[in-house]
Amino acid sequence: MKRLFSVLVNGLIVENPLFVIMIGLCSAMAVTTTVANGIGMGVALTFVLVMSELIISLFRNLIPESIRMPIFLIVIAAFTTIMDLEMKAYFPVLSKSMGVFIPLVVVNCIVMGRVEAYSSKQPVLNSVFDGLGMGLGYAWVLIAIAAVRELLGNGTLLGFQIMPSSFEPMIFFILPPGGFLVFALWMAASNDLRRRLLAGRKPEPTQDSCCTLPADGSAEKA
Amino acid sequence: MKRWQMIKLGLILAVYTTVGCVGLAFVYNSTSKTIAQRQEADLQAGLHEVFPAATGFTPTDKVKSTNPKIVFDAAYTANGSSGTLGIAVKAQGPSYGGQTTILVGVSTDGAITGAKVLENKDTPGLGANAASPTYYVDKATKTTFAGQFAGKKLTDPFVVKKDVVAITSATITSRAIANLVQAVGKAVSDVLGIGGSSQDPKAVLPSADTVRTSSKPATSSVPGVSILETSLGTHAGAIVGAAAKAKAKSYDGDVTVLVGVAVDGTILGVQILECTDSLGSSILAPGFARQFVGRKAGAPLAVDANVDAVSGATFSSAGATALVKATADALAKALAGGGL
Repeated sequence: MKRLFSVLVNGLIVENPLFVIMIGLCSAMAVTTTVANGIGMGVALTFVLVMSELIISLFRNLIPESIRMPIFLIVIAAFTTIMDLEMKAYFPVLSKSMGVFIPLVVVNCIVMGRVEAYSSKQPVLNSVFDGLGMGLGYAWVLIAIAAVRELLGNGTLLGFQIMPSSFEPMIFFILPPGGFLVFALWMAASNDLRRRLLAGRKPEPTQDSCCTLPADGSAEKA
Repeated sequence: MKRWQMIKLGLILAVYTTVGCVGLAFVYNSTSKTIAQRQEADLQAGLHEVFPAATGFTPTDKVKSTNPKIVFDAAYTANGSSGTLGIAVKAQGPSYGGQTTILVGVSTDGAITGAKVLENKDTPGLGANAASPTYYVDKATKTTFAGQFAGKKLTDPFVVKKDVVAITSATITSRAIANLVQAVGKAVSDVLGIGGSSQDPKAVLPSADTVRTSSKPATSSVPGVSILETSLGTHAGAIVGAAAKAKAKSYDGDVTVLVGVAVDGTILGVQILECTDSLGSSILAPGFARQFVGRKAGAPLAVDANVDAVSGATFSSAGATALVKATADALAKALAGGGL
């Protein structure tokens, strides 16, 4: 149980897909103009990630090594389409505002990366918790970036006016350069926390070892 | 051996694909109805928003876009308690970041009843404010960008920064949407038969202070040219010129022009109002019509000789030029003979 929990929290800070593994960045930059989009995209990716990791881990012994990539893609694409259709049916506003980025979850490197590096080699329960942890790690970053960008760039949070009406929205934060800036500041804060969390352990992670995934996908060795 | 291995892998892949497809088919079946219902409800809500007075809407296919870049996705007749109130059109056209889709209602009395931006891919925080329900071009009255079109007359010029308030730092988006609304207005007014009102002869008679319909229409001796309306322009009581709207066959459609001529036979202004030729709508660009200004009626006017054709629309340019010349000649003759 304790091991499962450590798999779950692993994705939040220590091996955060966006800040440490640094994959899936394009969608993170594009949809984080509003908090609602951030939440929606976070939930959508978490769903696809957990379901894909579950299925692939279940069938990991039935997937021939040489055609594993097309099979991973079929599974990921199926769950992405399911989620796209469900969102269109039950959350049409959200689905519209995220536009093309929902179908593009299928090529999000986080899903392919975790399926390939982790769940194709790990037991089912571990895979599900890894998917959940990675998904939550992705989601909190999106929400954190979106909160800053929406508040400063539009004066609102989740669509509610927060800033006084005298506040002139700083459009810079809505535009891509502002997105990069906010992303970098959050990354610095998160990676500083990560360094302190890992300070007691050894060896101290270097830039090199943090970006190459260990074979079993866990961060224990990092 | 190798071949069997390949067939085996292919079959395994086929199994995974089949299972995936069956799963998707189930999800599609369970959601497609809801999605269709939602879209229908969205559309109805949007139609009621741009046409608040209407009680129901029936699809119509009468409204046609004359501009190849602007596509009318759907059009609906707005029904009220006492018959048709107007037409609402869902139209899309190019904007800064891609196609933008709007819904516009036009009433039978020649006014925009409302406009709503359905889809806009322009820059968030700038152009995307066109679709925002909380971005106000007039904070005092809480008028959104699209909301400012409600009640606007089709005879208005629809010029951004003049009679249309622009979105801050998003002039291109503002212009694109204003043009789109105007295009819908024009197309609908043609269908509803309230067209003529938007083509003011004053525009081609800049030196006149009053323009009135002439007592007698000018006539052209050129076969195929029909002069639809003739107006007389006066300045401080004295006749300074005359204008006429004329129509003739062109390449594979019709062309309609508005020509203003001074008393001495100088062409004062030309507007190409409509061209239904395939690929002919590019001659509507003001640059083409402007070359006629200052020419004398009676003097030769021909494409490739002293008029530049719009590239890609040579036949339409020639047709329009011939019509402008015929109309100007007819007007000059009528003015000289005092027959107006």
